Amino acid sequence: MNPISVIGLCGSPRRKGNTEQLLDRFLKGASDAGGITEKVILSGLSYSSCKGCNACHVNGVCIMDDAAGDLYGKLLSADCIVIGSPIYTMGITTELKSFIDRAHYLWVRFFVLGTHVISPEQKKLRRAYFISTAGMDQEDVFDTAFPMINALCNILGFTHCVGVLAKNMDGYGGIAGHPTALDEAYHLGTEAVKGIMDKKPCLRRIKR
Amino acid sequence: MKPIRVLAIAGSPRRHGNSEVLLDWVIEGMMRDPSISVSKVVLADADIQPCRGCNACERLNRCITRDGMDTLHDQIIEADCVILAAPIYCMSICAQAKALVDRAQVFRSRKYVLNLPIIPPERVGKRFGVFISTAGQDWDYVFDAAIPVVKCFFHVIEIKNRDLSYLMIRHVDEKGAVMSHPTAKNDAYALAQSLVQTMKERIYP
Repeated sequence: MNPISVIGLCGSPRRKGNTEQLLDRFLKGASDAGGITEKVILSGLSYSSCKGCNACHVNGVCIMDDAAGDLYGKLLSADCIVIGSPIYTMGITTELKSFIDRAHYLWVRFFVLGTHVISPEQKKLRRAYFISTAGMDQEDVFDTAFPMINALCNILGFTHCVGVLAKNMDGYGGIAGHPTALDEAYHLGTEAVKGIMDKKPCLRRIKR
Repeated sequence: MKPIRVLAIAGSPRRHGNSEVLLDWVIEGMMRDPSISVSKVVLADADIQPCRGCNACERLNRCITRDGMDTLHDQIIEADCVILAAPIYCMSICAQAKALVDRAQVFRSRKYVLNLPIIPPERVGKRFGVFISTAGQDWDYVFDAAIPVVKCFFHVIEIKNRDLSYLMIRHVDEKGAVMSHPTAKNDAYALAQSLVQTMKERIYP
């Protein structure tokens, strides 16, 4: 059997901050369970935002040739992806939003041209998780992120599984002060890889 | 009498696309009144980098990034009305507009951390905002995830919920599609007219 590949995207512009620490725990759990993990720091990549030109509507190809396209290639072949972003102004960061906007050519392939489709069977075992941190202690602080992450999971052919959300970073003085989040992330990383190895679909799914 | 200053921000990367057409209709409607003066900024040309999350603004009361935001920051403060037009990409405002919204962190720090005023006290309650958006999808919830983000932006620049107006048109995707929308143009003019009326009543009591 091929090793289970897990790719972690860090959407925070701040290195080694709360979100990246949480992402690291997930990836550690995943690698301890036998997964091959890789971490990608979005702010370290060079890619432009989507120009809205709709050129991809013709043939499903983006006219921009940069790191975003390469990364999408990787994500399409991964078994599991974990997307990390802090909440800035009630939403995901500009870095992550900019990357997600660039998925439009894949949306066109899947939903308009009907090419490059991940089968429902494959999608069942491919898992995506969203992990996030927020300074504020507000119940709905993560809400706006979900429609975007859901859309990305659908475009890339992943089941959107329940991730880790840690709010009130200001109150806890950072992720290390949070009572459960880091352990939760580690266990989730382990569970993800084991589940995919055992060919078990994720039971805790995010429903729109 | 001083003119009422409107800052109109076209957030789309696509020039003269659907959201910018809506914005231009609103501007045109407002300009019919001689007391209105409009500055239009095209975000795609404005060089606004993303927020670095460094939190330096909590101490410095200014952003450490030097770019187009230096000018736009002052324009935002000076305006009596800020209009943000941005299309929905993948269920929220396009990345270019999110970059601007995140860079408003300096206002948040000023207001909530440093407890300093955003605008002089005599202008409080006399600031207005408009969010203009378009979406390709025809889902009735397609703007839902954008609204809390946009509200947060307007709140930190001292524009209150009651003084916010919205013009959101869905199911317009290809360039120019909004032109054939049955109500969009009239909606834009109606919004402009009623907003100008309200602003004049509030600003010139």
